[in-house]
This record gives sequence, C-alpha cells and structure tokens, in this order.
Amino acid sequence: MQQRVSLEDRQINRDLLRGVLEHPLWWFALVGFVGLVLLAGVISTGYMITKGIGVTGLNRPVMWGFFITNFVFWVGISHAGVMISAILRLTQAEWRRPVTRAAEVLTVFALMTAALHPVIHTGRPWRLLYWAFPYDFSRGIFVNVRSPLIWDPSAIFTYLTGSSLFVFVALLPDLAVLRDRTTGIVHHVYSVLCLGWRGTPKQWKLQTVAGILLSALILPVFVSVHSIVSWDFAVATSVEAWHSTIFAPYFVIGAVHSGVSAVVTMMALMRWLWKWDKYIRPEHFDALGRLLIVVSTTWFFFFFLEVLFGIYGQESPEIALREMQIFQWPWSMLFIIFLLTAYFIPVPLWLFPKVRRSITLMFWTSILVNIGMWLERFLIIVPGLARKQPLTFSWGTYHPSIIEILIVAASFALVAFLLLIFSKVFPLIPLFEQKEGQLFAKELRVGRKKVPAVIREE
Amino acid sequence: MAQQSEHKWGMVIDLDKCIGCQACVIACQAENNVPLNTEEIFNQKRAIEWIRVERYWEGEFPNVKARFLPVLCQHCENAPCEPVCPVYATYHNQEGLNVQVYNRCVGTRYCQNNCPYHVRFFNYWTPQWPESLRNQLNPDVTVRSRGIMEKCTFCIQRIRRTTRNAKREGRKLEDGLLQPACAQACPTSTLTFGDLNDPDSKVSQLAKNSRNYKLLEKLGTDPNVIYLKKVDPKAAEELHA
Amino acid sequence: MHNGHNGEALAASPEEVTQDILRKHREFTPRFKALVAVLAVLFLLGVVGFIIRLQDGFEHRVKWGYYAAVVVYLLTTAQAAPMVAIAPRLAKANWRRPVSRAAEMFGVVGLFNLLLFIPLLFLLPSTEGRRTIWFDGPSMSPHIWDTLAMVFLVLCGLAMLWAGSLPDMAAARDHSSGRRQGLFAKLAMGWRGTDLQWFLIRHRIGALASLYFMFLVFTHFLIASDFVLGLVPGWKDSIFPAFQALSALQSSIATMLVTMFVLRKWCGYERYIGLEQFWALSKLLLATSLLWFYFWWSGFIIFWYGRQPVEQNVISLIISGPYLPIFFTTFILNFIIPLVLLIWNAVRRSILGPTVVGCSILVGTFFDRIRLYVSAFSIEDVTAHALTVVPPAHTPDIADILIIIGALSGAGLSYALATKVFPVVNIWEIKEYMLLRVQAAFHRMEVTILAKPE
Repeated sequence: MQQRVSLEDRQINRDLLRGVLEHPLWWFALVGFVGLVLLAGVISTGYMITKGIGVTGLNRPVMWGFFITNFVFWVGISHAGVMISAILRLTQAEWRRPVTRAAEVLTVFALMTAALHPVIHTGRPWRLLYWAFPYDFSRGIFVNVRSPLIWDPSAIFTYLTGSSLFVFVALLPDLAVLRDRTTGIVHHVYSVLCLGWRGTPKQWKLQTVAGILLSALILPVFVSVHSIVSWDFAVATSVEAWHSTIFAPYFVIGAVHSGVSAVVTMMALMRWLWKWDKYIRPEHFDALGRLLIVVSTTWFFFFFLEVLFGIYGQESPEIALREMQIFQWPWSMLFIIFLLTAYFIPVPLWLFPKVRRSITLMFWTSILVNIGMWLERFLIIVPGLARKQPLTFSWGTYHPSIIEILIVAASFALVAFLLLIFSKVFPLIPLFEQKEGQLFAKELRVGRKKVPAVIREE
Repeated sequence: MAQQSEHKWGMVIDLDKCIGCQACVIACQAENNVPLNTEEIFNQKRAIEWIRVERYWEGEFPNVKARFLPVLCQHCENAPCEPVCPVYATYHNQEGLNVQVYNRCVGTRYCQNNCPYHVRFFNYWTPQWPESLRNQLNPDVTVRSRGIMEKCTFCIQRIRRTTRNAKREGRKLEDGLLQPACAQACPTSTLTFGDLNDPDSKVSQLAKNSRNYKLLEKLGTDPNVIYLKKVDPKAAEELHA
Repeated sequence: MHNGHNGEALAASPEEVTQDILRKHREFTPRFKALVAVLAVLFLLGVVGFIIRLQDGFEHRVKWGYYAAVVVYLLTTAQAAPMVAIAPRLAKANWRRPVSRAAEMFGVVGLFNLLLFIPLLFLLPSTEGRRTIWFDGPSMSPHIWDTLAMVFLVLCGLAMLWAGSLPDMAAARDHSSGRRQGLFAKLAMGWRGTDLQWFLIRHRIGALASLYFMFLVFTHFLIASDFVLGLVPGWKDSIFPAFQALSALQSSIATMLVTMFVLRKWCGYERYIGLEQFWALSKLLLATSLLWFYFWWSGFIIFWYGRQPVEQNVISLIISGPYLPIFFTTFILNFIIPLVLLIWNAVRRSILGPTVVGCSILVGTFFDRIRLYVSAFSIEDVTAHALTVVPPAHTPDIADILIIIGALSGAGLSYALATKVFPVVNIWEIKEYMLLRVQAAFHRMEVTILAKPE
C-alpha cells in the first residue's frame, strides 16, 4: 500500500526549495489577505489598550474569556511540534520525516502567538515588566512564585527557547543548501545562519546527537507547559468546574489532539499549495490518522472522567454549571458542536483506512477537530466562571465583543502570516531528512512478495 | 505566618437584623471613592460594590419572603486570592486584613476568579465622576485607575487614622470607636466591626453566638467575617453556609 | 551487536526453533515439579488464612483491607501484563514477538483473580446515602457492573491467549502423539495455516487486543472508583482512576521484565528472549515511571494547593498521615529508583538492570495498593458528607499475611501450570520475525533491515 518513489537528490533539492526560490502570485495574495486580517486585529488591540478592557464582553463573574481561551488553544497547538519531532524521532517512526519541520515551526509560531495573549488580556501591556520580567528590585519584592501565572511564563519561555533551538538545529544542513544556491546579500545571510556547515561526518554526528538530546530534554518541558496552563485553572479552588485533578493530563493530551490535527491541516495545505505530492503522501496521513485515533480516545476518556467527577459531588453550582454548559441555549449548541467536531465525527471516520488516506477528508476532519478543541477550552473556562460557587446572585454570562472576535481572528492570521513568511525564507520540508529517509528505505523479499523495509537507526 | 499582632479585625453580620436598605452600599461608595454604578454598567455585571446586599427569594407565591445577605470581602485568613496573584498585589497583613496594593496590580484578574465570594472588582474603564461630585471624593483614599483590581479594605484609612490617634494620645483603642463606613451607616446595627483579638469587644462576644456560621465554610478559607443565622424556624438552611 | 542473543535464535532454521520450544514445553523438569509443589503448599496456607479471615465475617470492612489490596494488586500487575503484548502489537513493534505469549498467558492468572474477587462483593456497601459514580442508580450497581467488567476482562484475556496460540497449538499437535495430540488438536481448532485462517487470526488478535486494552482501563476505572473513591466521603478526584490504570501499565512492564528474567535464567529461553526485549521494555518502563510521578503529582498538587479541609484530610489519609512510611516506600520504589537507574543507557541496555527496577516496581506497587485500599477500607462511616477524621493505620495480622502469600503463590501456580498448556514463547511470531528481518551490509557497517508489511 505504500507508494514510495525513489527520487534523486537533485530533484529533492529542486522540489523542496520551490517555496523559497520561486515567487508565485498566490503567495503574495495569501500574505496580503492574511495581513489584512492581522491589521484589523492590531488596530483592535490598540483600540482596546487605549480605551480599556471595558470594550470586551468580560464582566465580574467572567473575568477570563476569549483571550484566555485562545491562549490555551495556541499553547495546545504548539504541542504538535514536539509530539511529531521529538517523540517520533525517539521512537524511530520513519513516517515523521516530511512532517517534522512544519510541525516544529508551527510550534514556535503558535507559542509566540499564545504568549501575546496574556499580555493583551491584561489591557495594560507595559505592566508586563512587573510580571514576566520581574527584575524590579527597587520595590524590594520578587514575583509571587506561588502563583501559576509565574509558572506559566517560565514554562512557555523555556519551551519557546527549546523549540526554537530544535528548529534551528534541524535547519542547519538545509541552510547550507540554500547558501549554495543563492547569491549576493542573501547568500551572506544564509552563510552566517548555517554556522559553517560543510556536511563533514563530524558535523552530521553532532547535528544528530544535538537533535536526539534536544528531543529528550524538551519532552519534560512539553508535558509541563500544558500541565501548567491547566493548573492556571485547576488550582483555583473557588471555581468548582476547574478544580479537577485530571486537568493536567487532560489538557496535555487534548493539546496533542489539536496540535497533531493542525499538522494534518498544514500538511494538506502544503501538498496542495506547493504540489509536494511525492513527499507528503497518503501513508503519512494514514499514520497520523492512526496516531490521532489513539490520542483522541485517551483524550475522550479523560474528558469523561472530568465530567463524571465534576457532577460526582452533586453540589448545586456544579449541577448548575453542567446544566448551563450542556442544556442551556446557546451553550448547548456549542457543546453539541464541540462533542461532534472534537470526537464523534472525525474519530469514527478515521477508523476507515480509505478516509485516512484521503487528503481532502483528512483536511476537513482535522479542521473540525480544532473547531471542537477551541470550543472545549471555551466551554471549560467561561461557564465555569459564570456559575462560580453557590452565591447565585453574582452568577452571570458572557458575550464576546467584536473587538475580541477580531483579535482572536487576527491570532490565526498571525500564525498563518508567520508561516508564509517562513516558507519564503526556509524550506518547509527538511531536505536532509528526506534524503536520509531514502537512504534507509529498503525492500525485502518475503516469500513471493516484496515488502517495504527500513534500516534500523541505532 | 505573619507574627502575632495586636489587632485582628473582624466583622459580625447578623442576618436577622438586615432589612436590605442598602445604606451600607451607599456609605461605602461615598467613603471609598468607588466609581458610580450606572444602570448600564450594572446590567453589564461590571458594577463595583465593595459591599453588596444579595437578595434571595424564598418560598412560592404568595408566601414569598425576601432574604438579604450582605456580602463584602471576607478577609479570609486563608485567602484563595492571595497565592494566585503573580505580583503580590494582594497579600495578608498582620492585622487579619486582606489588602490590595493598587500600583502593583497588573490586571491578570486571577484573584477574582479564585474568590468564592465574588467580592473583587476590576476597573474596566477609567473611573469618572460628574463635575458636581468631584469635590466629594475622599482625600484619604486612592482613586484607582483602569486595569486594576479593588475590593473592600475594611476602611483601612479609618483604621489607620484611629489607631494612630489613639497611640499618639497614649490611650487604649476603645471598642466601638472604630467603624467602617458600612457599619456606621447601618440603621439596624446588622454590621458590627471590631477587634477579634480583644475577648471583651462586642464583635468577639457576638461571634460566640450559637447562630454563627461562616460563608462557604467547606472551602476552608477561614474568613474574618462571621454571619449570624436568621431567627426564623421556617428559614431554609442557608444554602451558602 | 547488542542483540546477539536474538541473532543466535534467528540464525537457526524455523524448524529447529519449533522443535526446541516444543521440547521445553513438553518437559516436566524436577525444578518445575518442585516449584509447583512449593507454590501449592503456599497457596494452601493462603486458603487457611482466608478461612481464618472468614471467621470475622464481612461486617468489619477494615479487616479485609489487605485482602482487597492483594486482589487489586493482582489486577494491576498480572492482569495488566498482557498489555506488553498488546501495545507493541498495535504499534507494530517487532521486539515483542518472543515475549507476547508470556504476556498473554497472564490472562490465566486473571481467572484465578476472578475467584479472589468474589468476597470483595460482600464488603462493598450499597450505594444508598453516599456519593458514587452510580448516582441514583440501583443500589447494587457497583456490585453488578464491577463483576461484569472483571468477568469480561478475564474472558477477553483468555480469548486473546487462545486465539493467538492457535498456530502453536497446531505445531504442538503435529509434534506429539497419543492423547496429547488429541488434546492439542482440539485446542488448535483445526488450524491448517490457510490464508483465510491467517487473515482471521490477525484481525481477531487485533480486535481482542484493543478490546482488552479498553476493558483493562475501564475495569480499573470501576474498581478504583467503587472500592476507593466511593468509600471515602467527600473525596472527589478525577485523576485517581486514571492514575490506577497508569500504574497498571507501569506494573505490567515490571511484571514482564521479571517474568522474562525468570524465563531466561531458569527456564532455558535465553536464545529467544534477549537484550532487544529488555532494552525496549526498559525504555517504556522509564516512560511509564515518569508518567507515574506525573499522574500522582497532578492529583496531589491540586489538593495540596487548594487547602480545602476535605482535600487536606484525603491527603492525610493516603499520603501524609498514618501511611506516610508506606507512601515514601512506594514513592522511592515506583519513581526514584526507576528514574535514577533507568536514565542510564548502560542500565537500560542490560538484563539485570531492568529486572532490578522491575522488582522494585512490583514491590512498590504492592505498598501502593496497601496505602490506598487498606486506608479506604478503614473508613467506618461511608455515608458522611465529608472526611473529617482520619482513621489510624491498620496493621496486618497473621491471617492477612497468609492471605497475601497464598494469593501471590496461587497466581504463580496458575501461571506455571498454564506454561504446560501453551508454549510460553510464541513460536509462530518468532518464525515470522525471522522472515521480516535481515542482517545486511550497508556501506561499511552491518545493519538490521526490518520489513514493515502493511
């Protein structure tokens, strides 16, 4: 069933550098469109910062809304990179090869975008100095390390540093290829960036070792980032809906679910936009689909535990919260959409190999998953706050304002924008991984059949 | 833990006396430079009321009774809002007060999320007063700018002034001399403020009443505000006890 | 090469492998007979202990705490062990092949554990007046559903074992005579090795494997919720069932590492079970040990940070209170030792290292079950609103110790006897592996080429 094609190195170079060396019209059109949405978001943010948080739909019980939902969402997406690159590298899954770069870059950009959200959310970004860069000793106090909001920036910046290094180390050989194919100032930039890469055996060895070390070291960070994000909620004793012990693994596996789905979306787009049919093949979608079935089912089990033990205590605010979340219009509609899109439509479909091998279907199901996962975070954050504790007098609801919607839309545009720019400067499919994969690919004759085989990396 | 200090401020709220007149709310508003709550702001659920009177209906028509529950910051000994603030903008002082440091606040609003009593307020807009009220602002109290959390302070400006004067004049602080605006304005003396460390103070005496309970006690926040149950055999078991 | 041991087996001819394994399967060595005798005696001691315990009746739940702990211990170790065959099979990892049967055979221990499970049903109070996962359902719901889950899990395990051993049963049939041949012919269910039969066996094993996995997690969820959470008033802990399931995954690997060591050392299977298996499993063991800590910590931090009285009492009950020494032992054995030893590649890539860690985890998990089940069983008033008083630690008496010894040796005994029915090393999977794996020259190195059929 695998459709391996043997390609010459020269052709790999030519195909995969297409994004960097050719300048099709659609690229400019896309950048323009995405840029416009981004601009709208920037203007909205500016307006909000000058006028005040009052321009959002936030209120007293619901102090966290769209921005925090979106923050969690993008941190979730950022789990794609390590999942694909580090875990699959350590488990020697061959099919990871064309996917790694895209996943890692998505990680970095998603994380950058996520990190913007708490800053926007406070409404006075200049106060960030006291919080995330707490070196204001003149006041005689350091930040409050007991607060999950201090664990957050620490985890996110560590993860950002780690995954940027990850991208960079994996880029080195490809940068050298680009250096050799460019002239003028661009050539000099690539020369500096590739750190004198010549492809000597020693350099290759170092690069491989660095990759494996980074994979292993980044794994704990990967788990901790979303755990800490989940603890922002779970340690808050006063919001019953958030105060659930399963939150950390539930968020992490949910993040992997949405992150890997985002990678599927991206792969389909890459295959269509740059016509990389020979590199991104149905078997890759198939493998990702299998992975997603396992991940999403684990996620669903944790979701089930979260809901079950939410109502387990049979306390009035919890019951009221679930009533609001599941039965009360319009939340009920969101809840149904969430359940269908995050699990009940895509996963049964993925059980069929035909679906997993259809790029169009995988594209749309992966988009569905992310719609669902966005709503999941929203349905955790907002109804939980709106039904906080039995003092029913202060219960409320939340309607996002147009400003918030624009800023959320702009965050998607920002990630897309950064990815498009990246694709113009660096190859989105790692050339060297592709060539290495070809080197390792073999065929074995078993009885009368020829079976694809691999050389085992040690 | 904070070292043992002379005072531990607390309040007793006797629900049997509360008539829901909202005088405390107005008094607090005036004393503490709380911005005006217009109808629009109120409907947006963004009203700032350091003390509010919650009204609950009990029973079926026509036997409906209104129940009033004044809620202000409970000045918890074990306050959930304190550990979650990343910049120490809220902390516990040695006199049992949960205090808010306005110029440290960055506006993450986490403290309000983690407050079970909904008594922390965010300044969504820059506060504005009509020209006619400009001169009414209390010079002892900071006017908070937008993007900042605020909450009941037990009228800390009064606590400071009274204790300072007593110290200067070398006399012991007399019980009942020190009153926050809400307690002062209450026509039925529902609210009693005082020093819980002084066993003879009125507030300590009342706190021993058999009707006493603390709001949402199961959370273990250990508030310094103590409620006394309504004397009504038919009153439903307080759902928030 | 590191996997020299396997290389040796794979260099032999397929027929040689069949002969060798079947011969070991057939033999009743004196060592085996002695082992069976000792285990049988110890098991009888356990029966004595059980009878002593029965004299106390079922009124005092706390007296049965250690009994419950050992039953759940077997559920977490032996009944989880088939996961070592299931997970790599679903992930198409080839190293599992020589040990998949040894893992699946723990399904037989499940049958034994099912018997042990019966008295627990008499100890579980009705759900009326207390918080359970059954809400307002019939008051006997946990009794019914937990039993069904256990029965189904055991049946599924046995079915998987049988389905996966058909080709080997056929081999045993073809290599024996007389009554033995008749028996294996029956067990092989007319296996001839046709294409259709191979197609069916693959799909059957695949389906049963996924089913077993899901039911294992589900059974752990039910047992943990009904026998621990449901008995402690006010304990609302959504990660706890998942923690117990994860602990089962960790223990399954530990169980298999120890089993593999025994099979290598004393049963003469060192040709088949080698470094490759130990190395692969020790990586998984490191991962699950880290996850063990992660799951434990995720639950702990929420309760510890929140400072709610009920949650403080729960922490005191199972962690910082009367069972603190036991918790420390668990923590060291289940997390610190695996972490400190297994981060070194040299330790992971050895036979002894992973085995030592496996033993450590097996002991640690046993203490963990005591910490959780004995403490939960020692709570008198299950209908209270919240846990207000933490009961003191309950120490085992002689009957408890006899029961523990008896249950563990009974489990060992059932496994030992099963090895004489099913070959403990999977013949057909090894032979298949030999087809899919080639050593070849690559530039100036010798490498392994693995076929990956769809």
